[in-house]
Amino acid sequence: MDPRIETINRLASLVKSRIGDRQPVLGIVLGSGLGSLANSIEDQVVIPYRELPEFPVSTAVGHKGNFIVGQLGGKTVIAMQGRIHYYEGYGMDQVVLPIRVMIGVGIKTLIVSNAAGGTNLAYHVGDLMIIRDHINLLPNPLIGPNFDDFGPRFPDMTRPYDPALIRLAVQVGDELGIKLHRGVYVGGTGPSYETPAEYKYFRTIGGDAVGMSTIPEVIVARHAGVPVFGISVITNEAHDDYADDFVNDGEDVVKAANAAAERMTGLITNMIERMSL
Amino acid sequence: MSYLETIHLAADLVKSRLNGRQPLVGIILGSGLGKLADEIEDPIVIPYKEIPGFPVSTAIGHKGNFIVGTLAGKTVIAMQGRIHFYEGYGMNMCVLPTRVMVCLGIKYLFVSNAAGGTNLAYKVGDLMIIKDHINLLPNPLIGPNLDEFGPRFPDMTRPYDPALIRQAVKIASEEGIPLQRGVYVAVTGPSYETPAEYRYFRSIGADAVGMSTTPEVIVARHSSIPCFGISVITDVAHATDDDDYVTDGEAIVKAADSAADKMTVLFKRMIAEL
Repeated sequence: MDPRIETINRLASLVKSRIGDRQPVLGIVLGSGLGSLANSIEDQVVIPYRELPEFPVSTAVGHKGNFIVGQLGGKTVIAMQGRIHYYEGYGMDQVVLPIRVMIGVGIKTLIVSNAAGGTNLAYHVGDLMIIRDHINLLPNPLIGPNFDDFGPRFPDMTRPYDPALIRLAVQVGDELGIKLHRGVYVGGTGPSYETPAEYKYFRTIGGDAVGMSTIPEVIVARHAGVPVFGISVITNEAHDDYADDFVNDGEDVVKAANAAAERMTGLITNMIERMSL
Repeated sequence: MSYLETIHLAADLVKSRLNGRQPLVGIILGSGLGKLADEIEDPIVIPYKEIPGFPVSTAIGHKGNFIVGTLAGKTVIAMQGRIHFYEGYGMNMCVLPTRVMVCLGIKYLFVSNAAGGTNLAYKVGDLMIIKDHINLLPNPLIGPNLDEFGPRFPDMTRPYDPALIRQAVKIASEEGIPLQRGVYVAVTGPSYETPAEYRYFRSIGADAVGMSTTPEVIVARHSSIPCFGISVITDVAHATDDDDYVTDGEAIVKAADSAADKMTVLFKRMIAEL
Protein backbone atom coordinates (compact mmCIF):
# COMPACT_ATOMS: atom_id res chain seq x y z
CA MET A 1 0.00 0.00 0.00
CA ASP A 2 1.09 3.59 -0.69
CA PRO A 3 2.77 4.70 2.56
CA ARG A 4 0.87 7.98 2.36
CA ILE A 5 -2.43 6.08 2.59
CA GLU A 6 -1.13 4.05 5.52
CA THR A 7 -0.32 7.31 7.31
CA ILE A 8 -3.81 8.70 6.63
CA ASN A 9 -5.50 5.49 7.83
CA ARG A 10 -3.33 5.32 10.95
CA LEU A 11 -4.09 8.97 11.83
CA ALA A 12 -7.84 8.54 11.17
CA SER A 13 -7.88 5.48 13.47
CA LEU A 14 -6.02 7.45 16.12
CA VAL A 15 -8.54 10.31 15.97
CA LYS A 16 -11.44 7.82 16.10
CA SER A 17 -9.93 6.15 19.15
CA ARG A 18 -9.92 9.50 20.93
CA ILE A 19 -13.59 10.34 20.30
CA GLY A 20 -15.29 7.10 21.35
CA ASP A 21 -18.52 6.33 19.55
CA ARG A 22 -19.03 9.82 18.14
CA GLN A 23 -19.25 10.03 14.38
CA PRO A 24 -18.40 13.48 12.95
CA VAL A 25 -20.55 14.23 9.91
CA LEU A 26 -19.22 17.71 9.21
CA GLY A 27 -15.65 18.94 8.85
CA ILE A 28 -14.91 22.61 9.40
CA VAL A 29 -11.66 24.39 8.60
CA LEU A 30 -11.54 27.38 10.93
CA GLY A 31 -9.56 29.92 8.94
CA SER A 32 -9.01 33.52 9.85
CA GLY A 33 -12.41 34.87 10.84
CA LEU A 34 -14.00 31.67 12.06
CA GLY A 35 -11.71 30.99 15.00
CA SER A 36 -14.33 31.97 17.55
CA LEU A 37 -16.65 29.28 16.24
CA ALA A 38 -14.45 26.82 18.15
CA ASN A 39 -15.84 28.28 21.41
CA SER A 40 -19.38 27.40 20.36
CA ILE A 41 -18.60 23.70 19.99
CA GLU A 42 -20.03 21.78 22.97
CA ASP A 43 -18.76 18.63 24.71
CA GLN A 44 -15.35 19.19 23.15
CA VAL A 45 -12.62 16.66 22.66
CA VAL A 46 -9.45 18.55 21.73
CA ILE A 47 -6.74 16.66 19.87
CA PRO A 48 -3.56 18.73 19.41
CA TYR A 49 -1.84 18.10 16.07
CA ARG A 50 1.43 17.52 17.92
CA GLU A 51 -0.07 14.41 19.51
CA LEU A 52 -0.61 12.98 16.03
CA PRO A 53 2.61 11.39 14.75
CA GLU A 54 3.74 12.63 11.30
CA PHE A 55 1.26 15.49 11.46
CA PRO A 56 2.59 18.85 10.25
CA VAL A 57 2.42 21.62 12.82
CA SER A 58 1.00 24.95 11.69
CA THR A 59 3.48 27.80 12.05
CA ALA A 60 1.21 30.57 10.79
CA VAL A 61 0.58 33.50 13.09
CA GLY A 62 -2.73 33.24 14.95
CA HIS A 63 -3.29 29.67 13.88
CA LYS A 64 -3.51 27.10 16.61
CA GLY A 65 -3.05 23.44 15.81
CA ASN A 66 -5.91 21.28 17.08
CA PHE A 67 -8.71 19.07 15.94
CA ILE A 68 -11.82 19.85 17.98
CA VAL A 69 -14.61 17.27 17.97
CA GLY A 70 -17.96 18.11 19.52
CA GLN A 71 -21.56 19.22 19.01
CA LEU A 72 -22.52 22.28 16.98
CA GLY A 73 -26.02 23.11 15.73
CA GLY A 74 -27.16 19.63 16.73
CA LYS A 75 -24.49 17.92 14.63
CA THR A 76 -21.29 16.13 15.52
CA VAL A 77 -18.50 18.14 13.91
CA ILE A 78 -14.75 17.91 13.60
CA ALA A 79 -13.10 21.30 13.32
CA MET A 80 -9.54 22.14 12.34
CA GLN A 81 -8.30 24.94 14.55
CA GLY A 82 -5.35 25.94 12.39
CA ARG A 83 -4.68 24.82 8.86
CA ILE A 84 -1.44 23.94 7.15
CA HIS A 85 -0.33 26.48 4.54
CA TYR A 86 1.81 25.79 1.51
CA TYR A 87 3.82 28.97 2.13
CA GLU A 88 5.08 27.49 5.39
CA GLY A 89 7.25 25.22 3.27
CA TYR A 90 5.23 22.01 3.58
CA GLY A 91 4.64 19.79 0.58
CA MET A 92 1.11 19.55 -0.77
CA ASP A 93 0.68 16.05 0.70
CA GLN A 94 1.17 17.57 4.15
CA VAL A 95 -1.01 20.60 3.45
CA VAL A 96 -4.01 18.37 2.71
CA LEU A 97 -3.25 15.59 5.20
CA PRO A 98 -5.71 16.91 7.84
CA ILE A 99 -8.49 16.99 5.25
CA ARG A 100 -7.78 13.40 4.22
CA VAL A 101 -7.80 12.38 7.89
CA MET A 102 -11.24 14.01 8.31
CA ILE A 103 -12.43 12.16 5.22
CA GLY A 104 -11.01 8.98 6.78
CA VAL A 105 -12.96 9.76 9.94
CA GLY A 106 -16.10 9.88 7.81
CA ILE A 107 -17.24 13.50 7.29
CA LYS A 108 -20.09 13.98 4.81
CA THR A 109 -19.63 17.72 4.18
CA LEU A 110 -16.76 20.22 4.48
CA ILE A 111 -16.97 23.90 5.40
CA VAL A 112 -13.92 26.06 4.71
CA SER A 113 -13.22 29.69 5.56
CA ASN A 114 -10.42 32.13 4.95
CA ALA A 115 -9.34 35.76 4.96
CA ALA A 116 -8.82 37.17 1.48
CA GLY A 117 -7.94 40.32 -0.41
CA GLY A 118 -10.77 41.74 -2.49
CA THR A 119 -9.80 42.11 -6.13
CA ASN A 120 -13.37 42.97 -7.10
CA LEU A 121 -13.48 46.76 -6.87
CA ALA A 122 -16.99 46.64 -5.38
CA TYR A 123 -15.75 44.67 -2.35
CA HIS A 124 -14.88 46.37 0.91
CA VAL A 125 -13.00 45.42 4.04
CA GLY A 126 -15.28 43.37 6.29
CA ASP A 127 -17.47 42.03 3.46
CA LEU A 128 -18.31 38.34 3.33
CA MET A 129 -18.04 36.42 0.07
CA ILE A 130 -19.55 33.02 -0.60
CA ILE A 131 -16.98 31.18 -2.71
CA ARG A 132 -18.94 30.08 -5.77
CA ASP A 133 -15.90 28.89 -7.71
CA HIS A 134 -12.12 29.08 -7.63
CA ILE A 135 -9.02 29.45 -9.79
CA ASN A 136 -6.11 27.39 -8.52
CA LEU A 137 -2.68 28.97 -8.92
CA LEU A 138 -1.17 26.71 -6.26
CA PRO A 139 0.31 23.32 -7.13
CA ASN A 140 -2.44 20.71 -7.50
CA PRO A 141 -2.58 18.48 -4.39
CA LEU A 142 -3.55 15.42 -6.44
CA ILE A 143 -0.25 15.29 -8.34
CA GLY A 144 1.32 11.89 -7.75
CA PRO A 145 -0.01 8.34 -7.78
CA ASN A 146 -3.80 8.45 -7.40
CA PHE A 147 -5.39 7.40 -4.12
CA ASP A 148 -8.00 5.09 -5.65
CA ASP A 149 -9.63 4.54 -2.24
CA PHE A 150 -10.43 8.23 -2.08
CA GLY A 151 -11.47 9.02 -5.64
CA PRO A 152 -10.76 8.90 -9.36
CA ARG A 153 -7.56 9.87 -11.20
CA PHE A 154 -9.32 12.79 -12.92
CA PRO A 155 -11.92 14.19 -10.53
CA ASP A 156 -14.62 16.44 -11.93
CA MET A 157 -14.51 20.09 -10.82
CA THR A 158 -17.72 21.28 -12.43
CA ARG A 159 -19.19 22.19 -9.05
CA PRO A 160 -16.35 22.61 -6.56
CA TYR A 161 -18.75 24.41 -4.19
CA ASP A 162 -22.10 22.76 -3.56
CA PRO A 163 -25.00 24.68 -5.19
CA ALA A 164 -27.52 23.53 -2.54
CA LEU A 165 -25.27 24.77 0.29
CA ILE A 166 -24.78 28.10 -1.53
CA ARG A 167 -28.58 28.45 -1.82
CA LEU A 168 -28.92 27.66 1.90
CA ALA A 169 -26.33 30.33 2.75
CA VAL A 170 -28.14 32.92 0.63
CA GLN A 171 -31.43 32.09 2.34
CA VAL A 172 -29.92 32.26 5.83
CA GLY A 173 -28.09 35.47 4.90
CA ASP A 174 -31.40 37.03 3.80
CA GLU A 175 -33.14 36.02 7.00
CA LEU A 176 -30.36 37.27 9.27
CA GLY A 177 -29.79 40.44 7.25
CA ILE A 178 -26.20 39.48 6.42
CA LYS A 179 -24.97 40.88 3.12
CA LEU A 180 -23.15 38.26 1.07
CA HIS A 181 -21.19 38.54 -2.16
CA ARG A 182 -20.86 35.54 -4.40
CA GLY A 183 -17.47 35.38 -6.07
CA VAL A 184 -14.48 33.52 -7.41
CA TYR A 185 -11.52 32.86 -5.10
CA VAL A 186 -8.01 32.80 -6.56
CA GLY A 187 -5.47 30.78 -4.57
CA GLY A 188 -1.82 31.85 -4.86
CA THR A 189 1.13 30.66 -2.81
CA GLY A 190 2.06 33.85 -1.01
CA PRO A 191 3.56 34.57 1.44
CA SER A 192 4.37 38.03 0.07
CA TYR A 193 1.17 39.93 -0.56
CA GLU A 194 0.11 40.72 -4.10
CA THR A 195 1.47 43.63 -6.09
CA PRO A 196 -1.02 46.05 -7.68
CA ALA A 197 -0.25 44.47 -11.08
CA GLU A 198 -1.00 41.02 -9.68
CA TYR A 199 -4.34 42.23 -8.31
CA LYS A 200 -5.23 43.54 -11.74
CA TYR A 201 -4.17 40.22 -13.28
CA PHE A 202 -6.39 38.26 -10.89
CA ARG A 203 -9.33 40.55 -11.63
CA THR A 204 -8.70 40.21 -15.37
CA ILE A 205 -8.90 36.43 -15.22
CA GLY A 206 -12.12 36.53 -13.22
CA GLY A 207 -11.03 36.49 -9.58
CA ASP A 208 -13.03 38.45 -7.00
CA ALA A 209 -10.80 37.66 -4.04
CA VAL A 210 -7.31 36.27 -3.57
CA GLY A 211 -5.78 34.26 -0.75
CA MET A 212 -3.14 31.67 0.12
CA SER A 213 -5.13 28.61 1.16
CA THR A 214 -8.42 26.69 0.84
CA ILE A 215 -8.24 25.41 -2.73
CA PRO A 216 -5.99 22.40 -2.03
CA GLU A 217 -8.40 21.35 0.72
CA VAL A 218 -11.40 21.76 -1.55
CA ILE A 219 -9.81 19.78 -4.38
CA VAL A 220 -9.02 16.89 -2.02
CA ALA A 221 -12.55 16.92 -0.59
CA ARG A 222 -14.08 16.97 -4.07
CA HIS A 223 -11.73 14.14 -5.08
CA ALA A 224 -13.57 12.07 -2.47
CA GLY A 225 -17.00 13.40 -3.51
CA VAL A 226 -17.46 15.41 -0.29
CA PRO A 227 -19.68 18.50 -0.83
CA VAL A 228 -18.00 21.78 0.13
CA PHE A 229 -19.16 25.19 1.31
CA GLY A 230 -16.62 28.03 1.37
CA ILE A 231 -16.64 31.58 2.63
CA SER A 232 -14.09 34.42 2.56
CA VAL A 233 -13.89 37.47 4.77
CA ILE A 234 -12.46 40.39 2.83
CA THR A 235 -9.66 41.83 4.96
CA ASN A 236 -8.07 44.19 2.46
CA GLU A 237 -8.98 45.91 -0.77
CA ALA A 238 -6.97 45.50 -3.92
CA HIS A 239 -6.14 48.73 -5.64
CA ASP A 240 -4.34 48.84 -8.99
CA ASP A 241 -2.72 52.17 -8.40
CA TYR A 242 -2.05 53.32 -4.89
CA ALA A 243 -1.48 56.98 -4.22
CA ASP A 244 1.98 57.75 -2.84
CA ASP A 245 0.48 58.48 0.54
CA PHE A 246 -1.66 55.33 0.71
CA VAL A 247 -1.23 53.48 3.98
CA ASN A 248 -2.67 50.10 4.83
CA ASP A 249 -4.36 50.85 8.15
CA GLY A 250 -3.85 47.63 10.05
CA GLU A 251 -6.10 48.58 12.94
CA ASP A 252 -9.11 49.32 10.75
CA VAL A 253 -8.60 46.01 8.99
CA VAL A 254 -8.54 44.06 12.24
CA LYS A 255 -11.68 45.83 13.47
CA ALA A 256 -13.58 45.17 10.27
CA ALA A 257 -12.43 41.56 10.17
CA ASN A 258 -13.57 41.01 13.76
CA ALA A 259 -17.00 42.46 13.03
CA ALA A 260 -17.23 40.25 9.96
CA ALA A 261 -16.19 37.23 12.00
CA GLU A 262 -19.28 37.59 14.18
CA ARG A 263 -21.55 37.65 11.13
CA MET A 264 -19.70 34.72 9.62
CA THR A 265 -20.05 32.68 12.80
CA GLY A 266 -23.80 33.44 12.94
CA LEU A 267 -24.27 32.45 9.33
CA ILE A 268 -22.37 29.18 9.60
CA THR A 269 -23.98 28.13 12.91
CA ASN A 270 -27.44 28.78 11.47
CA MET A 271 -26.59 26.86 8.30
CA ILE A 272 -25.35 23.85 10.27
CA GLU A 273 -28.60 23.75 12.28
CA ARG A 274 -30.54 23.44 9.02
CA MET A 275 -28.34 20.93 7.25
CA SER A 276 -29.68 17.43 6.93
CA LEU A 277 -26.62 15.25 7.36
CA MET B 1 23.46 23.82 8.01
CA SER B 2 20.32 25.95 8.06
CA TYR B 3 19.60 28.41 5.28
CA LEU B 4 20.10 31.27 7.71
CA GLU B 5 23.55 29.95 8.61
CA THR B 6 24.39 29.58 4.92
CA ILE B 7 23.48 33.23 4.32
CA HIS B 8 25.56 34.47 7.24
CA LEU B 9 28.56 32.32 6.39
CA ALA B 10 28.56 33.72 2.84
CA ALA B 11 28.00 37.29 4.04
CA ASP B 12 30.86 36.99 6.54
CA LEU B 13 33.24 35.82 3.81
CA VAL B 14 32.30 38.72 1.53
CA LYS B 15 32.54 41.22 4.38
CA SER B 16 36.02 39.95 5.26
CA ARG B 17 37.20 40.88 1.76
CA LEU B 18 35.90 44.47 1.73
CA ASN B 19 38.62 46.18 3.82
CA GLY B 20 35.94 47.99 5.78
CA ARG B 21 34.05 49.34 2.79
CA GLN B 22 30.31 49.68 3.30
CA PRO B 23 28.25 49.28 0.11
CA LEU B 24 25.29 51.66 -0.15
CA VAL B 25 23.79 50.25 -3.32
CA GLY B 26 23.40 46.68 -4.57
CA ILE B 27 23.32 46.32 -8.34
CA ILE B 28 22.24 43.21 -10.25
CA LEU B 29 23.49 43.21 -13.82
CA GLY B 30 21.34 41.33 -16.29
CA SER B 31 22.17 39.51 -19.51
CA GLY B 32 24.32 41.65 -21.78
CA LEU B 33 24.30 44.50 -19.30
CA GLY B 34 27.60 43.76 -17.59
CA LYS B 35 29.34 46.87 -18.98
CA LEU B 36 28.45 48.88 -15.91
CA ALA B 37 30.83 46.64 -13.94
CA ASP B 38 33.76 47.97 -16.01
CA GLU B 39 33.08 51.47 -14.71
CA ILE B 40 33.37 50.53 -11.05
CA GLU B 41 36.56 52.10 -9.68
CA ASP B 42 39.00 50.42 -7.26
CA PRO B 43 37.16 47.16 -7.75
CA ILE B 44 37.44 44.23 -5.38
CA VAL B 45 36.37 41.12 -7.28
CA ILE B 46 34.95 38.23 -5.26
CA PRO B 47 34.24 35.20 -7.48
CA TYR B 48 31.12 33.27 -6.43
CA LYS B 49 33.14 30.08 -6.47
CA GLU B 50 35.16 31.38 -3.52
CA ILE B 51 32.05 32.01 -1.43
CA PRO B 52 30.85 29.05 0.67
CA GLY B 53 27.37 27.82 -0.24
CA PHE B 54 27.21 29.78 -3.48
CA PRO B 55 26.04 28.17 -6.69
CA VAL B 56 27.99 28.84 -9.85
CA SER B 57 26.00 30.69 -12.49
CA THR B 58 25.72 28.77 -15.74
CA ALA B 59 23.90 31.28 -17.93
CA ILE B 60 25.56 32.45 -21.14
CA GLY B 61 27.07 35.92 -20.85
CA HIS B 62 26.87 35.75 -17.08
CA LYS B 63 30.04 35.83 -15.12
CA GLY B 64 29.85 34.93 -11.48
CA ASN B 65 31.36 37.66 -9.34
CA PHE B 66 30.56 40.23 -6.73
CA ILE B 67 32.34 43.47 -7.61
CA VAL B 68 32.68 46.01 -4.83
CA GLY B 69 34.00 49.47 -5.55
CA THR B 70 33.15 53.09 -6.24
CA LEU B 71 30.60 54.19 -8.81
CA ALA B 72 29.56 57.81 -9.20
CA GLY B 73 31.14 58.56 -5.85
CA LYS B 74 29.25 55.87 -3.93
CA THR B 75 30.35 52.47 -2.70
CA VAL B 76 28.41 49.81 -4.57
CA ILE B 77 28.30 46.04 -4.69
CA ALA B 78 27.45 44.66 -8.10
CA MET B 79 26.43 41.14 -9.00
CA GLN B 80 28.10 40.28 -12.27
CA GLY B 81 25.95 37.27 -13.03
CA ARG B 82 22.78 36.24 -11.26
CA ILE B 83 21.42 32.84 -10.34
CA HIS B 84 18.42 31.80 -12.44
CA PHE B 85 15.69 29.36 -11.46
CA TYR B 86 15.87 27.77 -14.92
CA GLU B 87 19.40 26.60 -14.16
CA GLY B 88 17.82 24.12 -11.78
CA TYR B 89 18.63 25.84 -8.51
CA GLY B 90 16.04 26.11 -5.77
CA MET B 91 14.61 29.52 -4.98
CA ASN B 92 16.72 29.74 -1.81
CA MET B 93 19.85 29.57 -3.97
CA CYS B 94 18.47 32.04 -6.53
CA VAL B 95 18.06 34.72 -3.89
CA LEU B 96 21.11 33.88 -1.76
CA PRO B 97 23.29 36.64 -3.32
CA THR B 98 20.52 39.18 -2.71
CA ARG B 99 20.18 38.06 0.92
CA VAL B 100 23.96 38.43 1.29
CA MET B 101 23.82 41.99 -0.05
CA VAL B 102 21.02 42.75 2.42
CA CYS B 103 23.25 41.40 5.22
CA LEU B 104 26.06 43.69 4.04
CA GLY B 105 23.76 46.62 4.68
CA ILE B 106 22.79 47.92 1.24
CA LYS B 107 20.19 50.69 1.37
CA TYR B 108 19.04 50.42 -2.26
CA LEU B 109 18.79 47.66 -4.84
CA PHE B 110 19.09 48.37 -8.56
CA VAL B 111 18.13 45.47 -10.83
CA SER B 112 18.38 45.09 -14.57
CA ASN B 113 17.42 42.43 -17.05
CA ALA B 114 16.89 41.66 -20.69
CA ALA B 115 13.22 41.10 -21.48
CA GLY B 116 10.85 40.40 -24.31
CA GLY B 117 8.41 43.16 -25.12
CA THR B 118 4.80 42.04 -24.90
CA ASN B 119 3.53 45.59 -25.25
CA LEU B 120 2.97 46.12 -28.97
CA ALA B 121 4.38 49.65 -28.82
CA TYR B 122 7.77 48.44 -27.57
CA LYS B 123 10.77 48.17 -29.90
CA VAL B 124 14.01 46.28 -29.57
CA GLY B 125 16.47 48.47 -27.67
CA ASP B 126 13.83 50.27 -25.62
CA LEU B 127 14.46 50.81 -21.93
CA MET B 128 11.54 50.09 -19.62
CA ILE B 129 11.35 51.26 -16.03
CA ILE B 130 9.72 48.42 -14.12
CA LYS B 131 6.82 50.09 -12.34
CA ASP B 132 5.33 46.82 -11.07
CA HIS B 133 5.57 43.09 -11.61
CA ILE B 134 3.55 39.90 -11.89
CA ASN B 135 5.39 36.97 -10.36
CA LEU B 136 4.74 33.64 -12.09
CA LEU B 137 7.87 32.08 -10.58
CA PRO B 138 7.71 30.24 -7.26
CA ASN B 139 7.69 32.72 -4.40
CA PRO B 140 11.17 32.88 -2.79
CA LEU B 141 9.67 33.41 0.68
CA ILE B 142 7.94 30.00 0.80
CA GLY B 143 9.26 28.13 3.83
CA PRO B 144 9.84 29.12 7.44
CA ASN B 145 10.05 32.90 7.67
CA LEU B 146 13.47 34.46 8.26
CA ASP B 147 12.28 36.83 10.98
CA GLU B 148 15.54 38.80 11.13
CA PHE B 149 15.02 39.83 7.48
CA GLY B 150 11.34 40.77 7.57
CA PRO B 151 7.74 39.82 8.31
CA ARG B 152 5.88 36.61 7.39
CA PHE B 153 3.58 38.45 4.99
CA PRO B 154 5.47 41.35 3.45
CA ASP B 155 3.51 44.10 1.79
CA MET B 156 3.99 44.45 -1.97
CA THR B 157 2.00 47.62 -2.52
CA ARG B 158 5.04 49.41 -3.94
CA PRO B 159 7.59 46.81 -5.09
CA TYR B 160 9.45 49.50 -7.06
CA ASP B 161 10.18 52.74 -5.26
CA PRO B 162 8.05 55.64 -6.57
CA ALA B 163 10.67 58.26 -5.66
CA LEU B 164 13.42 56.40 -7.54
CA ILE B 165 11.11 56.06 -10.55
CA ARG B 166 10.41 59.81 -10.54
CA GLN B 167 14.14 60.51 -10.29
CA ALA B 168 14.82 58.20 -13.24
CA VAL B 169 12.19 59.93 -15.36
CA LYS B 170 13.66 63.34 -14.59
CA ILE B 171 17.23 62.27 -15.40
CA ALA B 172 16.18 60.49 -18.56
CA SER B 173 14.39 63.54 -19.85
CA GLU B 174 17.48 65.69 -19.13
CA GLU B 175 19.71 63.18 -20.94
CA GLY B 176 17.29 62.68 -23.81
CA ILE B 177 16.87 58.98 -23.05
CA PRO B 178 13.42 57.69 -24.03
CA LEU B 179 11.90 55.46 -21.36
CA GLN B 180 8.89 53.19 -21.23
CA ARG B 181 7.19 52.48 -17.94
CA GLY B 182 5.68 49.04 -17.64
CA VAL B 183 4.83 45.83 -15.83
CA TYR B 184 7.36 42.97 -15.88
CA VAL B 185 6.04 39.42 -15.76
CA ALA B 186 8.50 36.79 -14.57
CA VAL B 187 8.32 33.18 -15.73
CA THR B 188 10.63 30.21 -15.33
CA GLY B 189 11.80 29.78 -18.91
CA PRO B 190 14.15 28.54 -20.19
CA SER B 191 12.14 27.96 -23.35
CA TYR B 192 11.12 31.27 -24.84
CA GLU B 193 7.48 32.25 -24.92
CA THR B 194 5.15 31.12 -27.66
CA PRO B 195 3.09 33.72 -29.52
CA ALA B 196 0.05 32.53 -27.55
CA GLU B 197 1.94 33.01 -24.30
CA TYR B 198 2.90 36.53 -25.35
CA ARG B 199 -0.76 37.29 -25.95
CA TYR B 200 -1.63 35.77 -22.54
CA PHE B 201 0.95 37.94 -20.76
CA ARG B 202 -0.25 41.05 -22.59
CA SER B 203 -3.85 40.32 -21.67
CA ILE B 204 -3.07 40.02 -17.94
CA GLY B 205 -1.40 43.43 -18.00
CA ALA B 206 2.26 42.74 -18.69
CA ASP B 207 4.44 44.92 -20.91
CA ALA B 208 7.59 42.79 -20.82
CA VAL B 209 8.46 39.21 -19.93
CA GLY B 210 11.64 37.68 -18.55
CA MET B 211 13.08 34.89 -16.43
CA SER B 212 14.50 36.67 -13.39
CA THR B 213 14.34 39.75 -11.17
CA THR B 214 11.05 39.28 -9.26
CA PRO B 215 12.53 36.81 -6.71
CA GLU B 216 15.34 39.26 -5.96
CA VAL B 217 12.92 42.16 -5.63
CA ILE B 218 10.56 40.20 -3.36
CA VAL B 219 13.47 39.29 -1.09
CA ALA B 220 14.73 42.89 -1.03
CA ARG B 221 11.22 44.18 -0.27
CA HIS B 222 10.94 41.55 2.50
CA SER B 223 13.66 43.62 4.17
CA SER B 224 12.05 46.93 3.07
CA ILE B 225 14.96 47.83 0.75
CA PRO B 226 13.79 50.31 -1.93
CA CYS B 227 14.16 48.81 -5.41
CA PHE B 228 14.66 50.28 -8.84
CA GLY B 229 14.39 48.06 -11.90
CA ILE B 230 15.04 48.41 -15.60
CA SER B 231 14.38 46.06 -18.48
CA VAL B 232 16.18 46.27 -21.79
CA ILE B 233 13.79 45.10 -24.47
CA THR B 234 15.82 42.63 -26.50
CA ASP B 235 13.08 41.07 -28.56
CA VAL B 236 9.52 41.78 -29.56
CA ALA B 237 8.30 38.40 -30.66
CA HIS B 238 4.79 39.46 -29.87
CA ALA B 239 3.15 40.09 -33.21
CA THR B 240 4.95 37.34 -34.98
CA ASP B 241 2.70 34.48 -35.89
CA ASP B 242 3.72 35.25 -39.50
CA ASP B 243 5.20 32.23 -41.24
CA ASP B 244 8.09 34.23 -42.61
CA TYR B 245 9.10 36.01 -39.43
CA VAL B 246 12.75 35.59 -38.54
CA THR B 247 14.46 37.08 -35.52
CA ASP B 248 17.37 39.25 -36.68
CA GLY B 249 20.02 38.35 -34.13
CA GLU B 250 22.56 40.93 -35.19
CA ALA B 251 20.17 43.86 -35.00
CA ILE B 252 19.08 42.72 -31.57
CA VAL B 253 22.62 42.56 -30.21
CA LYS B 254 23.32 46.06 -31.57
CA ALA B 255 20.15 47.52 -30.13
CA ALA B 256 20.69 45.87 -26.75
CA ASP B 257 24.24 47.15 -26.70
CA SER B 258 23.26 50.74 -27.23
CA ALA B 259 20.45 50.35 -24.70
CA ALA B 260 22.99 49.07 -22.18
CA ASP B 261 25.00 52.26 -22.67
CA LYS B 262 21.93 54.36 -21.94
CA MET B 263 21.13 52.26 -18.90
CA THR B 264 24.66 52.76 -17.59
CA VAL B 265 24.32 56.53 -17.90
CA LEU B 266 20.97 56.43 -16.11
CA PHE B 267 22.16 54.19 -13.24
CA LYS B 268 25.30 56.27 -12.70
CA ARG B 269 23.45 59.56 -12.49
CA MET B 270 20.79 58.10 -10.22
CA ILE B 271 23.44 56.66 -7.90
CA ALA B 272 25.34 59.96 -7.91
CA GLU B 273 22.18 61.72 -6.71
CA LEU B 274 21.28 59.23 -3.95
